[in-house]
Amino acid sequence: MDGTQPSEFSSKRDWVPSNFDLRDTWFPVAYCADVDTRPVRRIVHAQDVYLWRDFGRIVAAEFRPDRVSQSLKVATFFTGGTGYYPVVERYGYIWLWYGNPDARHEELIPNIPFLPLDGKGIPRYTQRSVRFDAASLLSVENLIDLTHADFLHANAIGDNKSESDHVEVASTSETVTRTRIVTRKSVAPVMRWIGGVRAKYQDLRAVLHVHLRNNVCISYPRFTPGYAIPNVQPFVPVGKHRSRVDQTNYTVHAPAPFRWLMPRISYVIQPQDNAVLRQQNARYFESAERRDFSSRFDRPGNRYRLLISRLAERQRQGDFSYQTDADLSADIASVLGMKD
Amino acid sequence: MNNGQWWAVGLSDAIEPGHTLAVVCEGKPIVLFRDEAGQAFALEDRCSHRRVPLSPGPVKPGGLQCPYHGWTFDGNSGRCTDIPNLGREERVPSSYGVTPYPVAEANGFIHVWLGDWAPGEYLPAASYRKTGIEYTGSAVVSLARDHYLDVMLDGPECLLAFTGVQITDFFLGDPRQDGDHLVLDRGAIWKGKGVGPAFVRDYPLVVRTSVPLVGGVITVELLSVDEEPLITICIAATENRRGTTSLCWRGGLHGSTISDSTMRWRFSRVIGRKPFEVFSEIDGNAIAALQIAPSLERIWPSSTASGSYSSFSPEVC
Ligand code: FES
Repeated sequence: MDGTQPSEFSSKRDWVPSNFDLRDTWFPVAYCADVDTRPVRRIVHAQDVYLWRDFGRIVAAEFRPDRVSQSLKVATFFTGGTGYYPVVERYGYIWLWYGNPDARHEELIPNIPFLPLDGKGIPRYTQRSVRFDAASLLSVENLIDLTHADFLHANAIGDNKSESDHVEVASTSETVTRTRIVTRKSVAPVMRWIGGVRAKYQDLRAVLHVHLRNNVCISYPRFTPGYAIPNVQPFVPVGKHRSRVDQTNYTVHAPAPFRWLMPRISYVIQPQDNAVLRQQNARYFESAERRDFSSRFDRPGNRYRLLISRLAERQRQGDFSYQTDADLSADIASVLGMKD
Repeated sequence: MNNGQWWAVGLSDAIEPGHTLAVVCEGKPIVLFRDEAGQAFALEDRCSHRRVPLSPGPVKPGGLQCPYHGWTFDGNSGRCTDIPNLGREERVPSSYGVTPYPVAEANGFIHVWLGDWAPGEYLPAASYRKTGIEYTGSAVVSLARDHYLDVMLDGPECLLAFTGVQITDFFLGDPRQDGDHLVLDRGAIWKGKGVGPAFVRDYPLVVRTSVPLVGGVITVELLSVDEEPLITICIAATENRRGTTSLCWRGGLHGSTISDSTMRWRFSRVIGRKPFEVFSEIDGNAIAALQIAPSLERIWPSSTASGSYSSFSPEVC
């Protein structure tokens, strides 16, 4: 039991998920395939981003294309006064630099080993946009947290009975990695009936790799017998209370029709999570006098809270640098357990 | 927190054993639930783990279970009695609880005690008596509780209606204080009978509203000219969020017969028509146009009320 003051908490202050606006990071703000010559609007930390293509080249600006020149007076620090954000296309996403433009480096874009770097050939059926009515950090915490599935998603995911269920957590100053190893769990109905897994039981090794600054969650759940369902869920903070997630459920290696249907499970899961998150979000804006109680099952989530708080504290002190333990572009295939 | 008082927050029959009801009282979210034996409990509707409302959760033998991660809270003490998947040797710390509220049921109302002191004896709905067939309901109205109580004195016809009866705005005297209620009578007439309210020599009916100075239970009675009760309604009003008010009510017809009633009234009784309506939708135009008069006594109880208030004295230049 972690007690009223979870051991992984260094701060006495309550954790208010909306208070973290971490800078100097790349946000995957849109699927490359969603942006053409006509401008689309995205919002990051309540800041406008207009995206369009100019002769095929992606452009990201603080203002609509017809207003950029007359709006330069109000251009922000984030575009260095030019009105244009740094952008890069990778893994099928448009990555936008949110922070000091001079501090940008493409090596700070998270490595996603299962997606093609140039984004070529990523089928549209793997891409789903969902929205959450909560601070993005609450959604990430919800993803890290495994214990809610038995209660909130019991009807969608089936029973979570297993022979053993083991959770590990590891971290750097920029990431949290949660690994769940389950042996002999009953095969989820969706995998049995649509996925063609005829066995009664299967093992699961699910790794979730979370980037703290931009809420990019890279996940590699591998079912044996069965297959892996690699996915990316980038929780882009639209503002303090909402996030947008352009998911990629990369099911291309799974058999049909599972490969097409599986990405749609977010239509079932998302409303269930959202129903809870909406209410939770409001309560994290109330007086911070009463802190959350935690059990040992919250250790990964509390580690996440702690690391986010540390990073935010560093940024408050004016330190936006990346420490040496964080190499975001390093191949994480083995971290995800893709090569075991 | 004040010293405390009981609030009637829900109808007893609105919660079956094993079910929950989310209410808001004095702006606080509260979950009411009954165990399988039928006992009612009230807890703060906010899980102490990750703050989600407990009210959508299932009632278990150990208490109410949170729908998010399954922590279970005892209805009496608010203590967390179970965290799923803990080992046998692991104990839930005793501090892991949510705020419990004392509960008392009386006359078809569930009361919760909000306050620092030990619960008092007097329950707001204690004086209500079921008569004949009961008509009940609940609603959240878009009017703040203070205003709701004021309007109940200044113009109850904006908030409720008696079938076949027109409530006039001629109140009979000024509000008088009866314990911690202000009581006001006003004339009422049969609809479709006679010359209209302005020319009635003596009102055939009286509407008596009894509005609390503290707490939230309102009583509205329709009386004959001989002050025989014809209909009694007990309305519990508590402050909900954003200037709204939660209402729940019970009421019914007394057995008294009345000689000069209209055909419409008698026919309505024969066919069992609902004898009154408490409005769930309130007409903003009517409320805005209503003159403030008897409700002044709620703010400045004066010598006209039979209490001992004398502190208000006009400024003299
Ligand atoms: S939020 Fe209630 S058990 Fe987790």
